[in-house]
This record gives sequence, C-alpha cells and structure tokens, in this order.
Amino acid sequence: MKLPRHILPFAFIGPAIVFLAAMLLWPLAQAVLLSLQSVRSVGTTGEWVGLANYIDVLTDTDFWDSAWLSLIWVVANAVLQTLLALVAALALNQSFPGVRIARTWIVLAWIVPTVVVVMIWRWLFSTSGGIVNPLLLQSGLTDRAIGFFATPNMAFATLVFINSWRWFPFITLMMLAGLTRIPRDLYEAASIDGAGPWKRFTRITWPLLAPTLGVLLVIGTLLSFNVFDIIWLLTAGGPADATRTLPVLIYETAFKSYRMSEAAAVAVLATVFLMGFALLATRWLARPPEAR
Amino acid sequence: MTIPKRYSRLTGAALIALLPVSAAAQVDLTLWHMEQPPHRVERVQILLDEFNASHPEITVSQEPQNWGEVYAKAPAALAAGAGPDMLFAIPDFTPILKGIGALTSVEDFVTELDAVHDFNPSAVEAYSYDDGVWAVPLYNMSMNLWYRPSVLSAAGIDVPTTWDEWKAAAEALTKDGMYGMGLPANQQLYTDQTVYSVMANGGASEIYNADGSLNFDTPETVAAYSFYNDMLAFSPPDAASWTWGEAEACFASNSCAMIMQFSVISTYDTQAEGVASDLGVAAIPSKDGGDSNTIAYANAVMLLSQDDEKMEASKTFVRWLLQPENYGRFLNMEPGLFMPVTADGAAADSYWSDPMVEKYRGQIETVIENSQNGMLFGFTSGRVFPAISAISAQNVLAETLQAIAITGTDAAQAVTDGQARMQDLTE
Amino acid sequence: MKRALRWNMALAGVLFMLVALIVLPFWFVLTGSIKEPSEIIARTPTMIPQSFSLQHYVKLLSASDYPLYMMNSMIVATASTVITLLLAIPAGYAFFRMAFAGRETLYRAILLAYAFPSIVILIPLFGIFAKLGLIDTRLALVLVNVAFALPFAIWMLRSFFAGIPIEIEEAARLDGGAPLTVLRRIMIPLVAPGIAAVAVFTFVTSWTEYVFASVMILSDAKRPMPVGFSGIIGQYQIDWGLLLAGASLSILPVVILFAFVGRWFVAGLTEGAVK
Repeated sequence: MKLPRHILPFAFIGPAIVFLAAMLLWPLAQAVLLSLQSVRSVGTTGEWVGLANYIDVLTDTDFWDSAWLSLIWVVANAVLQTLLALVAALALNQSFPGVRIARTWIVLAWIVPTVVVVMIWRWLFSTSGGIVNPLLLQSGLTDRAIGFFATPNMAFATLVFINSWRWFPFITLMMLAGLTRIPRDLYEAASIDGAGPWKRFTRITWPLLAPTLGVLLVIGTLLSFNVFDIIWLLTAGGPADATRTLPVLIYETAFKSYRMSEAAAVAVLATVFLMGFALLATRWLARPPEAR
Repeated sequence: MTIPKRYSRLTGAALIALLPVSAAAQVDLTLWHMEQPPHRVERVQILLDEFNASHPEITVSQEPQNWGEVYAKAPAALAAGAGPDMLFAIPDFTPILKGIGALTSVEDFVTELDAVHDFNPSAVEAYSYDDGVWAVPLYNMSMNLWYRPSVLSAAGIDVPTTWDEWKAAAEALTKDGMYGMGLPANQQLYTDQTVYSVMANGGASEIYNADGSLNFDTPETVAAYSFYNDMLAFSPPDAASWTWGEAEACFASNSCAMIMQFSVISTYDTQAEGVASDLGVAAIPSKDGGDSNTIAYANAVMLLSQDDEKMEASKTFVRWLLQPENYGRFLNMEPGLFMPVTADGAAADSYWSDPMVEKYRGQIETVIENSQNGMLFGFTSGRVFPAISAISAQNVLAETLQAIAITGTDAAQAVTDGQARMQDLTE
Repeated sequence: MKRALRWNMALAGVLFMLVALIVLPFWFVLTGSIKEPSEIIARTPTMIPQSFSLQHYVKLLSASDYPLYMMNSMIVATASTVITLLLAIPAGYAFFRMAFAGRETLYRAILLAYAFPSIVILIPLFGIFAKLGLIDTRLALVLVNVAFALPFAIWMLRSFFAGIPIEIEEAARLDGGAPLTVLRRIMIPLVAPGIAAVAVFTFVTSWTEYVFASVMILSDAKRPMPVGFSGIIGQYQIDWGLLLAGASLSILPVVILFAFVGRWFVAGLTEGAVK
C-alpha cells in the first residue's frame, strides 16, 4: 500500500460512505423529488406541483394526529424500555450464581424475528386459545376477558409493552457495558466510608452511568420512532387509528390510498423533525457534563 | 418446488439444442395468488405439475403472496417489469391494475370460454365495465352464518332468520364463557365483508346511485350499523382486532356460538370436533325475514403479460384449468370455500367426489344456495363505482364501524362522515 | 461486598420478574408446539403439556418450504454480516485514528442514517433495484441489511478502537508497518471482541428484517424465514399449533448461534467499554 497520507483515510472510509450514499441518500433524494410531484400509485407518473403536497399534509388533521401519536410512542417506549433495562442491568451487574447465563440469555427476546414476536404475543393475548386471559381470569384479577388490542388506549399500551419487551434486553447489555466501566474501588471506598447501597447508587452509579444513558436514549428514540412492522402486523394502525404513528401513516398513504407523493411529503417532514432532534441531541451529548 | 422447474428448463434447453428446427420455444409463466395456506399451495402445485407435464412447451410456476403486501408489491413489480403473468384476485383489485395500464380487455376470451362452460353472469359482471371485461372469473366465495346445531338446541333456540331473532339468539347464547356472535370490528377487509353482509340484508346494498353519486348516507345504512354495533356486545372483547383466522379459531374452540364466515369447514374438521352433523350453516338473517343477501366475491384470473406468446400460453392454462375434470379439484383446494362459477363446473364429478366435500356435502349445498343472492359493494347492478378500489383498500366500511363501536360516534354521524370520506377518495 | 438481606430479596424479586418476562412466553410457545390441537385451544391452559404430538412439526416441514426459508435467511444474514464488517472495520478505524478534513461532520452524518423513517426509501430503492435487475434476489436483501446495520457498526467499532492505547499502535507504526498492516496485524486482534459484538448485531438485524424482504422478494424459493413464516401462518385461518411449531423452529438457529457466540457478544460489548 503506497497511498499518499492525505488520501489514505478516504480509502478506509470511502467504501462505507459511497455505499451508504447510494443506498440511503440517493433514494432519500428521490423521495424528496417525489414529494414535489403528484404521483398516485407506483409506476405511474405525475406532474410537478411544488409544495402543494406539503400544504395538504400540514393542513390535514391526520398528519398532526399521527405526529402526536409518534411523539407519545417514542416517549412511552423510551421510558419503559430504559426503566426495564436499568433495573435489569443493575441486577445483572451483581454477582450471583448463574449470572453469566443470565447475562447471555437476556437477549432472547431481541434475537427473535419481529414477525415471530408478533405471532407469539398475538397468541398469548388472544381470547380464544391464548394464555394471558385465562391466567388473569383464574387468578381473579379480572372477571371478564381483556381485549388487549380492542380499545384505543389498551392497544397502544399493549404495543408499547411488546416493542419495549423486544428492545429492552439489547439496551440492558449496552447499559451493562456502561456499568462495568465504573471502577470497583470507587464502590469499595464508599462502602468503607459507610455509604449504603442507595447512596452508592445515587452518588456513584447514576452520575457515571448518565452519559451512557443519554446516548442510549437518543438511539432508542430514533429506533422506536422507526418501528413499523410490529405495529403494522399487530394492529395495522387501529383500532380507530389509535396506533397510526407516522411510519404507518406513510405506508397507508402510499399503498392503501395510492398517494405516493403525499406519503413522500409526510416522510420528508418526519425526516426534518428527526434530523433536528438528532442534531440537537448529539450536540447536547457532546458537551462536557458540567455544562449540561 | 424449484428442482423440477429447473429440471424441466434444462430438458427444454436440451430439446432445443437437439431439435433446433421442430421444437417450439419454452414459455415460462409465473402465477401469483393469495391462497397461501400450505394445503392450498400444495393442491395448486399438483395441478400445475399435471399441466406442465401435459404441455411440455409451457411451464407454469406459482408464487403465493400475502394480501397484506400485495397492494404495494403488485403495482411496484409490474412497473419494474418483474410482475406475474397471471394473478388470481378479487374485483376490488382489478381497477388498481387497470389504472396503471397493466390490463387489456379479455372480452373475446371470456366469450369463448362462456360458450363452452357457461359462466355465472354475476361473476362476469364484476369484471365488466369501461367497455371491456378485465379478468376471467375463476371461483366464487360468499359469506354465511355458521353455528353448531347442538349448541343452539341446548339453549332452545332456532336458527335465526330475522335481525330480532338473531340478536335474541346471540344474547341467550352469551353465557358461561361463550360469546353468542363473533363479529369483527377491525379496520380490515374481513370487517368490510361482515358489515356489508349486514347492510345488504337491511336494504342498504347500493352504496351509490345510477348517476355515479354516493348513496351510502341513508337511513337503511344507519340502521344496519346500529344493529351491528348492538351485536358487538355479544362478541369477544378482542374482536376489534380480528381477521378471518381469529373468528374461525373462536368458533373452533367453542368460544363463539355463531360466526359469519365464508367457510369454516377445514378448520372445523382439523382443529375442532370434525363431526359433520354438528356443523350448521345458514343464510345471514335479513332485517325482517325477507330474502337473504350476502357478500360474494367472484375471484378471477388477471392476465398481465405484455408478450403475445406468453399471453397465448396463459390462455392455454386458463382453458385447461376450467376443464371440468381439473376445475373441481382446483376449487377443492379449500373445500366449501370456493364455489364454481361455471355451469359444467357446478356439476363436475371432480368437485363433488372430494372426500371432504362428500363428508360436508349438506353444508356445501347450503353455501352454494346462499351464494345465489351474492353481491359486492361497488359492483352492484351492473355498474362499477370509480373509486371503489380506494374505498375498499382503505376499508371505509370498517372505518365507519370503528367510529361507532370504538370512538363512540353516533351512527348517523359516522355514516355521514363515511360518505364524506368516500367522496374524498373519489376525487 | 456483602449485601443486606433486603437487597438480596430485591435482587431475587427482579430476577424472578426477568425470568417471568423473558422465559415464560418462550416456555408456553415451546410446550404449546408439542400439544395436541385440542389442548392448545382448551379454555384452561396447561403449564406442563398433558399430551405429546409432533404433528405440527410434521405438517410444517412436509407442507411448506420451511427449511428453504431458513437456508435463505442464513445466507442473507451471513453475507450481510461479512460485508458489514468489511466496510465497517476500516471506516471505524479511520474515524478514530486518522486525521482528515470533515471527519466529525462525516461521522455525525453517518449516524443521521437512523434519523429518517426507513419505510420512505422502500419505493425509490425498489425502482433502483429494478433497473439493476436486483428485484427478487437475495443480494437485494443483503444490500438493504448492510445499509441499515452499517452506521451502527461503524459507531460501535469506533468506540472499540478508542479503547486501544495509542502507544501500542505507534510502536507498531515505528516498526515500519503500513497502516493496513497495522490494522490487520495489531488492531483487529485487539478489537476482536468488538468485532464479534458487531457481527452478532448485524446478523440479528438481518435475520429479523421483514418489511423490505416482504416487498422485494417475489418468489417463494427466495423468501427469508420471517416472510415465509408469515405466509404459512396465513391470513385466513389460524392454526395455532402450526404457528407455535414455526415460531419454535425459527428461534432455534439463533439460539444455537448464540449458545456459541453469545458469551463473546456480551463480553465484547462490556470489554470494549472497559478499555
């Protein structure tokens, strides 16, 4: 390898950058172009209509309802999966018999294909042949079977649970990584000074784990915003549009209403929001801890 | 599945190499359909193998697809030139393909086939508009009311024929962990079908007028929705997320006393008791006991090839499939679900000699009889409503039900909103 | 460190909750798949199967192309993993160790790859792939999977490289090693646990991908397992036994894979952070 020094880095990152540009940036640019036309179904052509689609979308209550749902979806998932992961990571950071096995296999829920996750929970929650409802009825917690996907709030909550169930193990591992970075002697010193477990958590664990938590929250937010398959396969956005987050709205507009260009406009708007969030978040994370 | 195909391709190539003058070029055809359950795929494969063996110059292969994705996939694949040569689908789907210019009229071909097999006119009608016939009808399906005679008689109930009787029966049967009437309220095609079946039995079958204006917002429609919503009280709580499968599972596990479904025969036979005498099927009750109507789908094959040779080969295949000795076996890929659309098919030995059909012959005869009054929203009275594909793809009928059943909107208001929604989709 | 009794109880409580949350659903799926149909749909579920039957597995394997779907998924996931690593290792290294103009900007831009709804590129990508003749090929799925896994892989590897003391690398370079040699001989072995972690991450995301595969694959013979599975389970009838057998089998390969590399995945994630 005899490349000049200033070209070498680009030989290293070039392939990855070119690949990502071709696979993500280029199609994204085409989506932007599509959003300025009036294409209805795939394979047909449309005319240039300028910003008309954006005006239509922004004045449509469906869009704002979906945007609001997406926001709640992201926050609810971030809270639930971070909490679950934090509790799990703190527990798995202790030493007890079988901790190695537990640390490895906690990811079981994450390595199962989404479609299978969907099928498993659909079965467990079903009122004909399922498991959860009979158990609840037997234990006397409820006297009528619960329709887990039947009412708007219930369906939304159930989806948040299933999605967090799938993702929290992965976040647990990332957190565990952050926890093992905290030097053991800090805890020992604190113990000698007479600090109890709670004090050790608030004074040592929490401040040192906070940066990791921040990064994970940002990644978790972007990942959960993008969740489409779980929602689509379980409720398809229903009942009564209660789970129609922005990705579902985009799919529905493109392939059920056959308004490709409008769908592209929704997607571009969502992208602008997300990029804004991601930029702010990475800037916030890049600042030194005292300035936050 | 792939190995025989590759093998026959190889043989085809070898034949051409050996006999450069006489051998005709090999034509490969791809067939898409949405009959994805393994036993249906298996039956179609048996027929394809036979056809391919008897027609060495043509190879048909099947690629089962899913209704969930085909709305996105078929137009995209056709636009990319990677689409199928033949597609089995429902009337709602035809305008979508026609809209992207993928279809040509097959009127002459249907006339030719009609002379031989005598098509059921309503089946052809669902594909006849805009001066053409856009697909060849293949199999019919219609919605029925399924129950267990033993369960009804234990409760001292007769099979309902009016809405009042139906409601009383559902109410009486809802006890001891059983639900009287399993009805979906999902925003999905199954709910469209059950809702329309109720509407059609309450004098609300025409959702638009002869002049093309909408006729959805009527007192009859409102009454049908109110009734449906009342019946949901006797349905399991998760019915709001049901598709066809959950309804059948509910019936099979004896959690639902009655359900509305095209056919439950194979599920009942494999997953429930499977006692033929204890499976009851009846027409869907009508509002005041008059003639019963139901929703009926005449499925058809759409011929999509832009290549003359492939088009001709596709026709050869359809001709072969409609031969009575093959046609009956084709319909019996799901016994009791798919009904013949041709006169000689309805009489065919190959249809009635299937073991499952023999076992449930009584039920199947009732289903065929019920289907005589079949109709499909947007395709009634020999016209087609222009935006019906969008209305059906968006499940506006089911959406209207959800507004009433889930959001709690007043039925009259929800139906008015539903018509506005349809109007919106027309533009 | 000694824990007080109540903290031990709390720990036991959390572990019990984790077991109930993670293990119990899988227990019901696995045991359900070997029950007779009547026991599966019985109104009172059984913890321990009362009946035993392999009929659902027999039906699954005889009436469908399930093994073929599995094979497709294996091929796609393996190829995606290899390509992702080939692209991500040099990029992650360069982003951390090499000085060049626009490094920070580019690095941030790469992470923005997750800041748009991926569903939006489905149709443009379909059009591009159609022009390239990639529709209905496993290669199309590999490309998509790599595109979605690569940014995260680069991000993860960069922090692994960050954990290596600069002295080690400088010593190697003073000995006259070319950058590529240094990367191959010195750096890669040092970040091996990190590479394992990235490999597992990519494999799993490729193994589970559904939406793009469901649209871009047209023929049955090329379907990966998630798409094939949802097809068998079907839209019209629900055969719970078949569903549970399919779910159990779909879990099996990743479980086997994980039994071998799982330790490395977890160790890789944690070690990378320690250094």
